[in-house]
Amino acid sequence: MDLEGRDTLVTEARDLLAGMESTLLELETLGHSDERINAIFRAAHTIKGSAGLFGLVNIERFTQRLENVLERVREGHDQVDAALMTVLLRASDYIGKLVDAIEAGLENEEPDAALRDELLAALDQRLTGAVMPAPHKPAEPARETALLHVSLRFDPTTLERGYCPTDFILHLGELGELAYVITLTSALPERARFVPSTLYFAFEVGLVSTATPADVEACFALIRELVTLRTFGASQLSDVHRALAPAHPRQAQRLKEELERLGTPLEDVPVYAPAALGHTAAPAGPFLPDADPATSIAAPRAQAARTVFPSAKQKNADERRAPEQRIVKVDATRLDQLINLVGELVIASEGARNTVSSGKRAEDVFEAMSKVSQLVELIRDRALHMRMTPIGEVFQRFPRVVRDVSRELGKQIALEISGAEAELDKSMVERLADPLTHIVRNAIDHGIEPVDERIRAGKSPEGQLRLHAYHESGCIVVQVSDDGRGLDPERLRAKAVERGLIAVDAVLSESECHDLIFAPGFSTAAQVTNLSGRGVGMDVVKRNVESLRGDVEIDSRLGEGTCFTIRLPLTLAIIDGFQVEVAGTTFVIPLDMVVECVDMRDVSGPQRILNLRDEPLPYLRLRDVFRLDASAAVRESLVVVSYAHQRVGLVVDRLLGNSQAVIKPLGEIFRRLHGVSSSTILGDGSVALILDVPSLISAATASGHKEGPARAGAMTAEARP
Amino acid sequence: MSALAQRSLDGAHTTGHYLTVVSGGELFAVSISRIREVIHCPRITRVPLCPEVVPGVINLRGAVVPLVDLAIRLGRRGTELTRRACIVVVEAEFDEGMRPVGVLVDAVEEAIETTDDMLEARPAFGAGLRQEFQAAMLHHEGRFVSVLELSAVLSVTELEGLVATHALAPGAARTKHV
Repeated sequence: MDLEGRDTLVTEARDLLAGMESTLLELETLGHSDERINAIFRAAHTIKGSAGLFGLVNIERFTQRLENVLERVREGHDQVDAALMTVLLRASDYIGKLVDAIEAGLENEEPDAALRDELLAALDQRLTGAVMPAPHKPAEPARETALLHVSLRFDPTTLERGYCPTDFILHLGELGELAYVITLTSALPERARFVPSTLYFAFEVGLVSTATPADVEACFALIRELVTLRTFGASQLSDVHRALAPAHPRQAQRLKEELERLGTPLEDVPVYAPAALGHTAAPAGPFLPDADPATSIAAPRAQAARTVFPSAKQKNADERRAPEQRIVKVDATRLDQLINLVGELVIASEGARNTVSSGKRAEDVFEAMSKVSQLVELIRDRALHMRMTPIGEVFQRFPRVVRDVSRELGKQIALEISGAEAELDKSMVERLADPLTHIVRNAIDHGIEPVDERIRAGKSPEGQLRLHAYHESGCIVVQVSDDGRGLDPERLRAKAVERGLIAVDAVLSESECHDLIFAPGFSTAAQVTNLSGRGVGMDVVKRNVESLRGDVEIDSRLGEGTCFTIRLPLTLAIIDGFQVEVAGTTFVIPLDMVVECVDMRDVSGPQRILNLRDEPLPYLRLRDVFRLDASAAVRESLVVVSYAHQRVGLVVDRLLGNSQAVIKPLGEIFRRLHGVSSSTILGDGSVALILDVPSLISAATASGHKEGPARAGAMTAEARP
Repeated sequence: MSALAQRSLDGAHTTGHYLTVVSGGELFAVSISRIREVIHCPRITRVPLCPEVVPGVINLRGAVVPLVDLAIRLGRRGTELTRRACIVVVEAEFDEGMRPVGVLVDAVEEAIETTDDMLEARPAFGAGLRQEFQAAMLHHEGRFVSVLELSAVLSVTELEGLVATHALAPGAARTKHV
């Protein structure tokens, strides 16, 4: 399978699986409807179909079984009860695993054999245990395994048409066990006439299985017109051998050896299961004529061919695994808009060139240029937009998570999702999934109380869990809130002391107590459950979110519930920036975070707090923060920035104005440096650093906490000696 | 010893190519295998709170590349940005793969082709270098030149640590995350 086909298949299958899962959950909560059953059936059927096209037998065969069960439900012979629901959900998980394996280039490996067996057994039980026999799969009496010999003559154009005979032979092997594959090479022309895309080989295959000749034919259904196929039962093998011997002495010899190895020497061929084989076995008539019997030259080549196939396949798989190619689905209208704009840009730039070359006035040139740059900006926005994905893509997995976790814990939980249409960068959506899942699981496990406890507390027995997303000043905010028992600051404190995370006499505010759950190695669950409480998790959540330049906040009231707020930038690629200069160095502040710019008048004195329209505003002097050249500029300016409802002033030497900034990462060497998040390249080719406003704000407020807790509005004040 | 000799050079039995550079007034040699290019020193953007060994970043045709001052890294005085100062762009091993790092040197001397007999195992001491920084000695025109082990000199983990500790040095602590 080529790379593109693989990616498309993986993306499509994942979409279908997600759809199937949500329909299953709807089926469970909203009840049976033909439409839903059909939707599920269609999803399974499409997955099976595309897997079959690519010869992915793992998926195809499994999904076939699933489809059989669904078929029965669709025809009213069976019903989706709780047991079947569980099987179906787990089956969709299992197909997900198979899809993951395909993405990794490991489609020939079984990701979870135990689960597969278990699910297949459950599905089979569903098929056979029901009152009426399944329409497509009549119950078969147990049959003995038998040797079936299959002669395969492919059309020479098989390869040209994109089919690989080995795939089909391997597919055949799925029915049982391939005892031998003998390649007939006499059709190979001499080197000068050899055409690489022509298939010269014929195959003699031995299959030990319970399959009937009809099953064998079904394996080749896709290329029915390209293959001539004969099956022979064990009793006819002597005839096969006789027919083979004159033109293919080596292969006939090999067949004889293989049969001896299998314990069925040609002289006394026993009858394995004559009843099953007798009726369809073709007479051991003449084989399709092979070309000139140049076997003596061809034989060594055949040897080579046999060994080359698997290794070439292996290599292919390795190559595929290396570069991860991703597919982004883009709304067609968005693409059209972008292309229209590019068209306009081409015209505008042509116009600008004319204006310049015809020696027009400076104003005209400026006008033309501004038109071009306006278009560039629009195109930038649209291009970035194409990477945007609704956060619903992450949210859609939670109904399932909540269902599974709440069942496991015996809690009743209603999940409410809102703001699923809020968009953010595709890469962020993917990386947000893990931290969010953890928070949700945590909320169900620790936050929401068991039913009896809720009733005692006067709450409705059903816990409320809410996922909410919205945009706020260049960020996306994701909230996970529950109406559970809330975080108990005293308990958290005690636990932290017990774990040696804080000193016994440490003075912590309530929110600082809450933040303790982000400390590595902290866990308050009295008993370690399957879901959480292993003390790994919340610290990882925080780290993950911070690696996306975001942060996590907790708001909790004891007995009323907890709300986790994750704040993330919308994209990691391009921002609108505001340039400032400090000590001769240019810095860029993300424009979304800039509130206003103010002239600094009196900045002397120890107090680092400014009266801004009668509001106290703490400020940082970047010159000091970054330990730059100490001599201050004569006149300084103040940029007021805001992030997560906090405002801080940044004192700079000069304001340079707006610009677009293509974000360039600074790299690992500067990973642990705070205050600067990344860099960008300015119009003159020099590098400017982008300020990390959140870390600057938290630095300002944290030092405020530490040094002046007694002050009024401690958060906003910081005293410096 | 055999392990040392093996490690010292990729394929010491064949001829190799080395670039000699001046850093802190001394001559050093580096294997050209990981050198991407040599450029004149462009405008350096200082990154605040960073130690002198990582003086800043440069724009290398659109990519932002960190600089390492070789002299300071080898325990010498800092490189002066004279007209001869150059940046040797070297591929260094980052978590995400090979990425360029700019090595700031006083001057680049010459590219030399070496034969087996020109290379000798590094001495136990005497070069005034950290052991792991020295891959071998190169006997060139009557002089012994230390061949630098770039993977150690440009260890990203170590450089990251240097930046982190410097940023957290007293006086900066209050502006940091707690």
